[in-house]
Amino acid sequence: MTAELPGFQRYQLAFTARLRDPLKQPPLAGVPRERMAVYEEIVFNNLFESVSACFPVARKVIGKRKWLKLNQAFMRDYSANSPLFRKIPEQFLQFLNNADPQLQAMLPPYFNSLCHYEWIELFVASSPDTAKPDNIEPYGDLGNSKPVFNPTMQLLNYDYAVHKISPRHKPKQAQSTQLLVFLNAADQIKFIELNAVTYRLISLLQNTSQTGRQALTLLAKELQHPQPESIIEFGLSILEDLRRQDVIIGTHH
Amino acid sequence: MAIISQIQGVGLGLKRELIPQIQSLYGQKQLANINFVEIAPENWISAGSKAAKQLDWFVERYPVVCHGLCLSLGGLSPLNVDFLMQVKTFLHQYQIPVYTEHLSYCTDGFKGKQGYLYDLLPIPFTEEAIHYVAQRIRQTQDILGQRIGVENASFYVAAPISEMSEIDFINAVITEADCLLHLDINNIYVNSINFGFDPHAFLRGIPGDRIIYSHMAGHYQQTPKLLVDTHGENIIDPVWALLEDAYQLFGTFPTLLERDNNIPPLIELMHEINKIADYQHKSGGRFIATDQLAAMG
Repeated sequence: MTAELPGFQRYQLAFTARLRDPLKQPPLAGVPRERMAVYEEIVFNNLFESVSACFPVARKVIGKRKWLKLNQAFMRDYSANSPLFRKIPEQFLQFLNNADPQLQAMLPPYFNSLCHYEWIELFVASSPDTAKPDNIEPYGDLGNSKPVFNPTMQLLNYDYAVHKISPRHKPKQAQSTQLLVFLNAADQIKFIELNAVTYRLISLLQNTSQTGRQALTLLAKELQHPQPESIIEFGLSILEDLRRQDVIIGTHH
Repeated sequence: MAIISQIQGVGLGLKRELIPQIQSLYGQKQLANINFVEIAPENWISAGSKAAKQLDWFVERYPVVCHGLCLSLGGLSPLNVDFLMQVKTFLHQYQIPVYTEHLSYCTDGFKGKQGYLYDLLPIPFTEEAIHYVAQRIRQTQDILGQRIGVENASFYVAAPISEMSEIDFINAVITEADCLLHLDINNIYVNSINFGFDPHAFLRGIPGDRIIYSHMAGHYQQTPKLLVDTHGENIIDPVWALLEDAYQLFGTFPTLLERDNNIPPLIELMHEINKIADYQHKSGGRFIATDQLAAMG
């Protein structure tokens, strides 16, 4: 296939093949090794630094050697398709999720979740639009109208307590974990740990057009609670609390 | 809203680290010589509301130019038209009159995708490459509806298959593409050391009437015969001498300081900004980029 390309492109392909995999690809004929090494270092280090900056915990948890190996595989095997530097970590996640079994086998079972959690901070921080949608009543009745969530909000469900992982605290077993990540009105990134019931309530409100009271009634039914009113009351206070924290930005008219 | 004729004097490459300092010292005498700022669209397109607010602040106060990194004019994969459309929208949204890119490539079409490598790789200087790159510049200009500037890139490896010198390649591409030149003074010097040519002779070969603006920067000396274009050091004397020579040859043109690594406080960077302004005042000829320059000829 490459034989059909013009000469300069065949050269370019040999050049980038060497950059992607200096350990296996042959050096280019007529090119001084030490000059080529400048590119090999710069290109890899750029990628390595962009990825490392986004995953400070993940990289410490698996240690330098594995982290390097993982990044070398990313450089070698992944075809990045976004020109935006900011998207490099997201592409690293895609690479991880499709990594070959041999590579996966060297990583702990919580690793991809941890990386996702570390990346979500970057993702939320660059949310395209925090402008409030139109027709929002900031102080509207959360029980009798539909609560509107912060457009930057990410509702997350992990099999591990990803937010508690550190090199000294590596999870030994799975633990279902629900989190909220969002930008508050001051553009600061915020994390909230949720219990399963609140998680369910927010999912219900996010995915349907129910009012707060309707969603809570359904939730009480799901829980088979003997006194649905107490669930509704309690739930409404949770919604008010979420409004105070900028998770809920108001109600639809 | 800026127009090309407002891109004058001295500019500064806008790094995030510098933003709070510029904002707090804005309007004060120390910053008087910053006349325009440059951003990389790759760092600002859909970068979130905080970035958008910062950019609004700058667009209201300074003429802004865009200097791209990842268009990959010499790349193996098809030109990323989706991205170029985003750039077009971005330029329009912020009324940015100038877009320049590097005469280099950063994609290898790996596995049928773009295959971004996120760095500036050297295009071999061959006849076929001239036509290929010129065609992609033309395609870019057609999509944007305006001329772009291409920058002479720094590099470290000379392709053994090259058929001509860098200056001949640059001239041929610019002529065939009918585009502008974004002249990087430091890159001329870096390449002159890395490949052993006379930078002042090189300067005499460039098409001066095509200059849209220029770059000044420092570099890292890895060995006496190998300079790496880090933008992380102060500008050295031979590069200042090249700038002075260029102003003598072509008249004063807008010049922007790039500092991407090892960034000192803004007040220190102002020494180099002010020095560029001094060179501009010393130089006799006046150069004003006209709005026709970017209009498609």
